[in-house]
Amino acid sequence: MITSIAHATIYVLNQDEALDFYKNKLGFEVGDDMKVEGDFRWLTVYPKSNSQLQLVLAEPKEGPMFTKDSADKIRSLIEEGAFGAGVFETENCQKTYEELVAKGVEFIQPPTEQLYGVEAMGIDNSGNWFSLVQR
Amino acid sequence: MATNYKLERLNAGRDYIADNYQAPLSLSGIAKYSYMSPYHFLRVFKDTYGETPNEFLIRLRVEQAKKMLITENFSVSEICEKVGYTSLGSFSSLFLKQVGVAPTLYRRKLWALSTEAYRFPSQAIPACYAYHFLGKLAN
Repeated sequence: MITSIAHATIYVLNQDEALDFYKNKLGFEVGDDMKVEGDFRWLTVYPKSNSQLQLVLAEPKEGPMFTKDSADKIRSLIEEGAFGAGVFETENCQKTYEELVAKGVEFIQPPTEQLYGVEAMGIDNSGNWFSLVQR
Repeated sequence: MATNYKLERLNAGRDYIADNYQAPLSLSGIAKYSYMSPYHFLRVFKDTYGETPNEFLIRLRVEQAKKMLITENFSVSEICEKVGYTSLGSFSSLFLKQVGVAPTLYRRKLWALSTEAYRFPSQAIPACYAYHFLGKLAN
C-alpha cells in the first residue's frame, strides 16, 4: 500500500529564479538544495506547515532523457502556460491572494466562489499556473 | 492547526530559526519573535509543524552539515562550528543519530561514490530522478 506522496516535479525555466519565487513570494521553505554529480541541482521546496510533499524544481535540460529539441520544446510550453504546478491550499484565499498580489505575484483569476471552495488562480515566474484554494 | 494570525506569528519565529540556525539560539529568544511565552510557543509550534523548534533547528543544522561535508573541504570541527555547535562531541553524536553514520564516514562514503569532486553522488537523490536527469541506474 502506498501511504503518501513524497515528491512531485515542477519544470521551471531557471532554478535560481524559481527558488526566489517559491521561497520569497509564496513563502515556501527549501527542503534540499544539493549539487549532484553530472551537473545536476536537486532542489525541493515545501509549504512551512507541511513537509510531507516536496516539490522538485527542475529544469528541462539536454541529457539522458531529453534531446536538446525536447528540452527546448518543454521550455517554450512552460512559458506558454501549458503546465500546472498544482493546487495550493490556504486557510483564507482572499487574504493570501492580497498578500501575494502585494508581492507582485501575477493572477489570472481573483478569489472566486467555486463548488469546492474559494479559488484564485496564479502563475509562477516560469509560466506554470497554480490554484490557490480555501476549502 | 493555528489560526491564520497565530500562524503568521509562528512563521516569524520559524523564519528566525531558519535565518539564524548557525548562531547559538535559545527557546526564549526565539519565542520572543512570535510574541509568545516559550512554553506556549513550543506547544503550538509542535502542533502546527509536527516537530519541536529544537527538532527543526537540529534538522537545519544537520542538513547544512551534510551539504558542507560533501561540497566543501572544511574539517569536521570547522563544519561543526559553522552550523552553530560549540562542542564537536555533541555535534558528532547528533549527526550520527540523525544520519546513521558519523560525519567523517558520511563524507568518505559519499565522496567514494561520486564521480566528481565536491558533488553528491547520484545515489543521494531518489533513483527515478537520478535516472531521468543523469541517466544513472543504481547497480
